[in-house]
Amino acid sequence: MRAAAGYGAGEAWTAFRRNGLMSLAAVLTIMVTLLLVGAATAVAANLRLLASILEGRVEVVAYLRDGLAPAEVQRTAAAARALPGVRAVTVVGRDEALGRLQDALGERVSLRDLIQTNPLPDSLEIAVSNPARAHEVAAAVAEMEAVEDVTSGGQVLDRLLAATWLLRGGGAAAAALLAGVALIIIMNTIRLTILGRRQEVEIMQLVGAGGWYLRAPFILEGALQGLLATLLAGALLVPGYLVVRDRVGALLPFLPLLDPAALLPALVGAMAAAGVLVGMSGSSLALRRFLHI
Amino acid sequence: MRIVIRLQGVTKRHPNGLTALADVSLSVAEGEFVFLIGPTGAGKSTVLRLIYRAETPTNGRVFVGGRDITRLPARAAPALRRSLGVVFQDFKLLPRKTAFENVAFALQVTGTSPEEIRPRTLAALELVGLADRAEALPWQLSGGEQQRVSIARALVRRPPLLLADEPTGNLDPRTSWEIIQLLSRINLRGTTMVVATHNKLVVDILRKRVIELAGGRVVRDEDYGLYASQA
Repeated sequence: MRAAAGYGAGEAWTAFRRNGLMSLAAVLTIMVTLLLVGAATAVAANLRLLASILEGRVEVVAYLRDGLAPAEVQRTAAAARALPGVRAVTVVGRDEALGRLQDALGERVSLRDLIQTNPLPDSLEIAVSNPARAHEVAAAVAEMEAVEDVTSGGQVLDRLLAATWLLRGGGAAAAALLAGVALIIIMNTIRLTILGRRQEVEIMQLVGAGGWYLRAPFILEGALQGLLATLLAGALLVPGYLVVRDRVGALLPFLPLLDPAALLPALVGAMAAAGVLVGMSGSSLALRRFLHI
Repeated sequence: MRIVIRLQGVTKRHPNGLTALADVSLSVAEGEFVFLIGPTGAGKSTVLRLIYRAETPTNGRVFVGGRDITRLPARAAPALRRSLGVVFQDFKLLPRKTAFENVAFALQVTGTSPEEIRPRTLAALELVGLADRAEALPWQLSGGEQQRVSIARALVRRPPLLLADEPTGNLDPRTSWEIIQLLSRINLRGTTMVVATHNKLVVDILRKRVIELAGGRVVRDEDYGLYASQA
């Protein structure tokens, strides 16, 4: 096995050099498909980030009836906290609410001058663990005795959920579809390089080469092609992402984008693993299916 | 005398219905030199292909080196092929490997240690008279030289049995004669030799055992035979 691996590695490299054009075609094909899949994955990852940020803003607000004792407010808050699907509950007293309103209005208008009493009720800000359950939480909170009114975004929430579902699902589906197409193209390319050397395999079999001595050179050659293609694809993808991120960031400053350091190392690593794996399995499949070994 | 090859009532029918061999029985003893003759399509190649297990018989049994290989699974074929050498009409050299690499290849794929490969490869090339062309690529060699490389490759593992399928089919008469002399010399060193040919001249000059096939049947098996039947 070890002798076969050593022999195979040498053979793989020699074959790669001597089959120049065919190897180059295979590497470039794999590179382009990996680049497409990598770019689609980068876009999908950013869409996912956008979706989770949007969803993090979903909140249920329960307005409490007037004149409740502080103990009653705390009891209601505790009851809300105990509901399934609730992540956190913040009590916002009516004075704080007025302060916030004043902050929101800015310095041009003074509420103190306009109204003598505070018209705002105490309220609970309820963060949900899963935005899809916001309606359910809102309904449960509305049942509580101390609660006068509940808002959960209503229609806006539904549209937001539909949009984030589309962002996540669409991005992932596009990446998966591209990956599937890439797999077929890569395997077919490698199959062609092996078919081109059918005679070579036949001779190997005639002199009694079997098992790993027969497969190792081809499988390692496939791995080598996959690895080289990944390096090339990475060399384009990394600067490409940096440039696109700068441009998009300048055009749409409010759009959240993934930090390159958080995305690229993992993405290129995954592409390298995928490239090598697909290269090897492409060779292996081609050998088995088209040369019956 | 030890029997190296034995075919017992072998019939080979191809999936397309063609019968390549019909009830063929023959045996070859250790150290023999046998010519397998007959017109194209008589079944000469099929006999050889059964011996190196490129095919399995439809009926009957095949023994090589005392071992029953009738139903040998394909994954056991490499081991069998390492115990014999095969030479072809079209040489079957790897076009991008030098003469040395083509011969060394047969040792590499059997896991011979790298220190052993070089001296044994050079010795085999020496035996066929090509030690000085070791670094040439096949296209740089003449037909006769290419066939010598392929014989060196078949011999480098020192197999007890050598099969040759029309080894002179692509060569001019003079080169053909040199190749047959080389095979004859190798036989004298003790290697059992089965040569399929329709080269009348070499068969008649060498006067070895002749097995004649026609339409997939053995029609003659004669020691010191000629190409044409004397009967």
